This record gives sequence, structure tokens and C-alpha cells, in this order.
Amino acid sequence: MKLGSFEVKLEKRVSLPGWEATLISLLAILVALVVFSYIFVRAGVNPLTGYKEIFSYAFMSSFGLPLTINRFIFLLLCTYAFIIPIRAGLWNIGMAGQLYAGALSAFAVAFAFGAKTSQNAVLPPGLVIPLMIAAAILGGAVVGAIAGFLKGRFNTNEIVVTMMLNFITYWIVARLIKEGGLFMGASGEGDGFKIPESIYAPLVKNVPFTVFIALGLAMLLYFLFAKTKIGYQIKAYGKSPSAAKYAGISPYKIPLLVFIMGGLIAGLAGYHYFAAVPGVYKITKNYGDFGDLAFYGIICGLISQGDALAAIPIALLFGGLTNGGRFAQGKLKLGFGIDYALLGVLMITLVAFQFFYRYKIVVVRTKKETSDVGIHS
Amino acid sequence: MLLESLKRGDTVLEARGITKRFPGVLANDRIDFEIKAGEVHAILGENGAGKTTLMNILFGLYQPDEGEIYLYGKKVNFRSPLDAIDMGIGMVHQNRKLIPAHTVIENIILGHPRAGNILNLKRTGKEITELCDRYGFKIDLKAKVWQLSEGEKQIVEILKALYRGAKILILDEPTSALAPPETKRLLESIRIMTRDELAIVPFITHKLPIVLEVSERVTVLRRGKVSARLETTGATEKSLAREMVGRDVIFRMERVEVEKGKPILQVENLSALNDKNVLALKDVSFSVQEGEIFGIAGVSGNGQQVLAEVLAGLRKAQGGKVLLDDANITHSPSLERWSKGIGYIPSERVDVGSIGDFSLVDNIAMNYYFDVDFTKGGIVNYKGLRKLTEEMISEYDVAAPSPDTMAKSLSGGNLQKLILARVLSRKPRLLIANLPTQGLDVGATEFVQNKLMEAKKEKAGILLISEDLDEVLSLSDRVAPMYEGEFMGIIPGGEARREIVGSMMAGLKPKVEEI
Repeated sequence: MKLGSFEVKLEKRVSLPGWEATLISLLAILVALVVFSYIFVRAGVNPLTGYKEIFSYAFMSSFGLPLTINRFIFLLLCTYAFIIPIRAGLWNIGMAGQLYAGALSAFAVAFAFGAKTSQNAVLPPGLVIPLMIAAAILGGAVVGAIAGFLKGRFNTNEIVVTMMLNFITYWIVARLIKEGGLFMGASGEGDGFKIPESIYAPLVKNVPFTVFIALGLAMLLYFLFAKTKIGYQIKAYGKSPSAAKYAGISPYKIPLLVFIMGGLIAGLAGYHYFAAVPGVYKITKNYGDFGDLAFYGIICGLISQGDALAAIPIALLFGGLTNGGRFAQGKLKLGFGIDYALLGVLMITLVAFQFFYRYKIVVVRTKKETSDVGIHS
Repeated sequence: MLLESLKRGDTVLEARGITKRFPGVLANDRIDFEIKAGEVHAILGENGAGKTTLMNILFGLYQPDEGEIYLYGKKVNFRSPLDAIDMGIGMVHQNRKLIPAHTVIENIILGHPRAGNILNLKRTGKEITELCDRYGFKIDLKAKVWQLSEGEKQIVEILKALYRGAKILILDEPTSALAPPETKRLLESIRIMTRDELAIVPFITHKLPIVLEVSERVTVLRRGKVSARLETTGATEKSLAREMVGRDVIFRMERVEVEKGKPILQVENLSALNDKNVLALKDVSFSVQEGEIFGIAGVSGNGQQVLAEVLAGLRKAQGGKVLLDDANITHSPSLERWSKGIGYIPSERVDVGSIGDFSLVDNIAMNYYFDVDFTKGGIVNYKGLRKLTEEMISEYDVAAPSPDTMAKSLSGGNLQKLILARVLSRKPRLLIANLPTQGLDVGATEFVQNKLMEAKKEKAGILLISEDLDEVLSLSDRVAPMYEGEFMGIIPGGEARREIVGSMMAGLKPKVEEI
């Protein structure tokens, strides 16, 4: 494209420094917000007021912030459940199923200790909570392992398998918590049973301790991919399975391994949302919504390009927007679905801006007029 | 422009002062040359000399930053390959761009403006058959492309260009994937085509004898500039190589005699299946001794690849035994073989031997991440590997800006040097080198062959698989020509007569007295 004596060209990038990637993402967010302003204007709301309501509720209000943090923990865990397989080139679309399995397993432990029958039972938290977490991890890992095993052994498409497992586990949960199921709550309104207060997950400043697990995992995953042999093997398999095979990396074990790791983290997300978030402590009847929310883990994982540390601010942003968007929608009397529309615009913009991860725009001064005449013969 | 009025010797294409810059690289620096009707004009250059860039400019894939192209005396500006094709320039790529599931005829008329929506296969078939008869191409038009050999696929590409009316034919490495008889047939067809006032422009990095045999004039590129323009009548293989590389190149590796030690590798009655579950390796037995290069000569697809993969532990053996230092490794996983001293240079250096999206350090790690010297307690010592990579880059003269460079940005020759450095640095007792010089320019080929000789001097046993008959014969102590999964015999390398090995590669078992 020519502008006077300057020419604007696209150039393929040779490398992308971390700060430039960050800058590109920030720019994308800004552009998304500007674009979305149109919706606010159409609804007769000053965009600045709209964004102020969203962000102040999500990140500054004493009601909204804890909700944002709970969402953030959940999203971050789901993101990691996606990131580990994607580093091996495999798509985990089954975070929902894995987290349902995690939640069910955790509640099965509580059930075994008699939590369903007595709401006031005093159970030993030092024993039951670790067992619930271990069960959640195991449940998620088993569901993940199915997809990993089938991929490694029979080269079955992991996207289809994880997707189908989502449906299977969804209905297993329904069978267990509704209509006389084993884990049905006392109210009979479709929720699962509530766990007694004695085994509520510990809170630190009103935030579930699972935040430390999530942030610890961030460090661990960063370390895994930057320094360890297993991380190297996963990355090599992800970039080129045939070269990885030549390097002696098992094409059977890697898919199994990454789906077990992804599944166990999704299982933890299930534990977090249903057994650690204040005010929940049960598998709620709308558990499917959290399965849907888990899909934002895919978006966060793709935007962060598989980087465990970069996923933190992104999950925080999405956690805040899902939360603040819903609040602003109610307060400003906006139409239904505005919050999802905002997320949608943001996702599309972030993904579109990844174009600039591969190309950059350069402006060069054109030396002389070159005629761009075609051929005439 | 009346192309029909073209006379032999008329200038058809002229490039003046072509310059093309890429970030950090001056790929083409004021290149001038001209092509005449009815001549074969070779463009010669090492990998990275700017050959590909120039070719892409002539075909309209790139626009030059400076300089002009004149076609039949008129200035042209190709905005895309379509412009070039419309103006009668045809290009045959090295990596064939054909649709394997379609027939030859369907591939030829694909995208042809006259094909229209309703195919008249009968009429086009007749026209294409006429073309084949005229230029001496033998091909079954109804065959599916996947069934064809590399040479036949190339014929399809040439026919495709000719059928679209190409008067100037650019050939990218036309003989690199061809078996000797196919090469011979191609050269004959080229000669016939020039009689019709077609201009043929082969771009070549290696196989210099072919340049001498078929072309009248040569333009040599070195580091983006024209380093020489010559007539082939006075040129020798040696003089061309000197112009290309900028120094003298040794063509015939002196075979160093090394005292043979005990056998390292013993293979007994080995059989294996290929990817299509067909028996592709049949009952092969041989041994490789310390300080020996054992060569396997043959046209690709005769079981060499399967043999190499079975020995490297990447493919299951169907029957037979493999012994390494008398220990049975027939069913050992590849990782165990690497630790026991096998080194493998795969023929697919881009897809198997390296990982393009990995840095050079991570590529070196492919043979080191399991090594206790570099990985302790599951933690990889990347600092140590980085240092090792830097040493290899300087020792093997790999042209790379830093160890963090992505492997995909290296040229073929540099990538092969890196793989060679990685494998040889582990001091393998047995080195399996599968097509180690395929597609490399003369300088890099010489380098790789030198390194193989050095490894031999250090008492390694080397299994050399090559399609290049001259290479196998000059390097190997013993040679086994391979045909359809079998060895046609094992003969001493030094005395082996070229013609005999050539006929053995084609499936003829020689009479004893001939050897």
C-alpha cells in the first residue's frame, strides 16, 4: 500500500520478543473495547460508564472481586488442562467432562464419610479435604486418560473422544444429583447434597486456598516446559511426532501422559468450584453452566500461546469480564447476552491480532516512482 | 508478439540488475543474464547463493526491489505466477505440486484456461499424446499420480507447462530425485525440446556433470552475485565448482585405508514390511566392521529406507536378527540403541532429523536429552547444551546467527551439518547414514563426505545408503547394490565397475567372473 512517498508493507517476523507480544495483546484488548462501545452506544449507554461499571465491579468492589477471583482460579485451571495437551499438539475439548468427574469423585469421598445424611456432621478436615482433592484429581485424570490412551494406542481423534466424554459425564452427574440420585440434595430442587461446614475448603482472606494450587501450578508448568526432560519430550512430540519418534520419544506414552495431566488439573477445577467457593459447596443444578465456562480455558490457552505464566493475566481478565459483564448488564438494564457479546468480541479481536505475532507492519520511504503496469503483449 | 516467428538464438528473456533484499540478507545483487531461444542455460549456485530467489522472481512469485525483466524485448512486470504462465514461462518445481489421487491427464489440465467446466478428456488426451510423441515422453495418461515414480511425476509437470504453451521452461533441480536411467531419458527429451526453439533453464546446485552434458551456457551465482558466465564447451566439472564455491573442490574422495577391526554390526536374514504392509526387506544378511564403510547402492524405494529404520529401531523387524557387538538388539527400542552407540542420520532431514520450530539448542537436545551428562534428575541442562551447540556451530561451520535460531531458517546444507554434528558428537560405534548428501551442494557434500571419512578413521563402522553411484563407489570399502528389498550381491568398492553396479541396481545378478 502506498501513502505519498511512503510505502506500508507487511513483513514476516523472524522472532517475537516477549514485550512485543504483550503489547500486541494489550492493543487487541483496547481495540475490542473500542469496537464494543458501539453496542453500548446502540443501547443508549455511555461506553465509559459501561466499562466503568464492568471493571469497578469486577476488580474493585468488595462483592465483585471475590467472585472474579473464584472465576479466575477456575478458568486458570481449565486453561492449564488445555495447555498441557496443546503443547503436545493435542486438543483437549473435554475439560467439562473432566471437571464433572473431578467434582463427582470429590463428593463421593464426602458421601463415604456420611456428609449427605448429616448436614452438621463434624468430619476431620485434615483427612477428608486432602482425600476429596485426591479423588478429584483421580477422577479428572481417569476421564482424561481415556482420550489419551485411545489417541496413543489407536490414533483416535482426541477432539471427538473428549467431546463425547463431556456428554457422558454430564448425564452421569444428572443421574446422580437429580430425581432420587445417590448424591441428591435434601431440598429436592435438583441440586446435589451440600457438604457440612467442617469440610469447607479453608479460606485465606475470603479466597479459597485453591488459588495457591492454581498459582503453584503456573510455576510448576513454566518449570516443566522450560527445564525438564518430560517437558522437552512433550514439546518435541507436539512440534513433530515423527522427529520425536526418531529422538526415542514414545508416541504412545506422550498422549496418555498429557491427557492424564490435563485431566487431573480439570478435576481440580471441579473440586474448586463445587467444594471450595464460598456459598456453593454442592454440585449445583446449573452445573452445566460451569462446564460451558470451562471452554473459555481453550480461548485463554490459545491466546497465551501455551505459556503458563501469560495465561494468568488472561484468565484474570476473562474471569473479571464474565463477572462484571453480567453485573453491568443487570445494573444498566441492558439486553440479555451483552456480557457474552463482549467476551465474543474480545476473543475474536485477540485471536485476530495474533496475526501480528507472525507479521509486522513496516513503513519504508519509496526511493523512486515505480510504475505498476501490467503486461501487455 | 508472434512467438511462432521466433528464431533460434533470439533473446527471449533478459534480466537486468535484479536486486532483492530480505531482512538482513541481500539475496540477489544486480544480477544480469539473458536466455536465448533453443538453448539450455543453466543457473548454477550453492544453497543460499540466491538461486531460488532469482527463480521466484522470474516466475512472478517475488517482485524484485530493483532491476527489470524483458521478455521478447518488452519490459514486463509479473505480479503473480499467473502473469508469468500467461506469458509462456513454465516452472517445474523440485517438490512436485501434483494431486496424487488424480490421473496424469487430470493433473495436466488442472487450472488450464481451456479446460472449462466440462472436461473433454478425449480431445485433451489426444493433444497431450501428441506432445509426448513429439518430445519422447513415455507416460500412461490414465495412471494415478501416486503410482508414478519421481521421474514420471516430473514428466507430468513438464507436460503441464508445455500444454499451457510454455516457451521458456524453468526446471528446479531437475535430476536430483531421478534414477540414472530416468536422468538419461530426461536429458534426451530436453535436447528434443530445444530443437523446437524452447529455452530451457535448469537451476542446479549439484550433479555438475549434467550441467556439462546438457547445457550450452552457464551463469554461476555466488552469494547473490553473478560470479561467472561461461560456455560449457571449455568448462570442466572442476572449474564450475571453483566458480560456485570460490575455491577448489575435491571431487573424488580419496578412500583412506583403515585397518578393519571386528564386526560391529551383524545382520542375519532380516525381513521387514513397509508402510503399506508389503514385504520390502527380504532376507538380507551382512556385517559392518570397525573402520569400514559399507555402502548400499540403489534407487530409492528398493528397501533401503526400511532397512535403515529397522536398524535404527524405528520399524519392527518381521524376521531375522540384528547383533550389535554380538548383543542381540533386534527388538530394542531406538533410545537403547542410541545409548549403545548407534548413530542415525535419517534421509528426511526436515521431517525426522530435525524439528523446524525448535531452536538449534533444542534440536541438539534430540540426541542429548536422555544423556546423563546433560539431564540429571529429570532436569535438562540447557546451559550445557547451549555451549555444546555453540561448539558444534563453529566446529562444523554451520551458518546460523545464534544457537536460538529456529532450525527451519537453516538451508539444507547447514541443517545437514547440524544433524551430522549432533550424531557424530556422540562418537557412534556404528553410523547409519541414509542419503547423507542428497540435495546438498558440492561444498556441503564434500564436507559431509570428509566427516564420514574421519569417523571411519576413528574406527567407527559406517553403513552408507546412497543413490549417487559415484559417491557409494568412491567412499565404500564394500558395496551392496539393492533391488526390490534384496542385496544383488556384495562386492568390493574399489574394483567395482560402474556399469556392473548400475545393472545390479536394476535387478540383474552378475556372473561371478564379471566382478
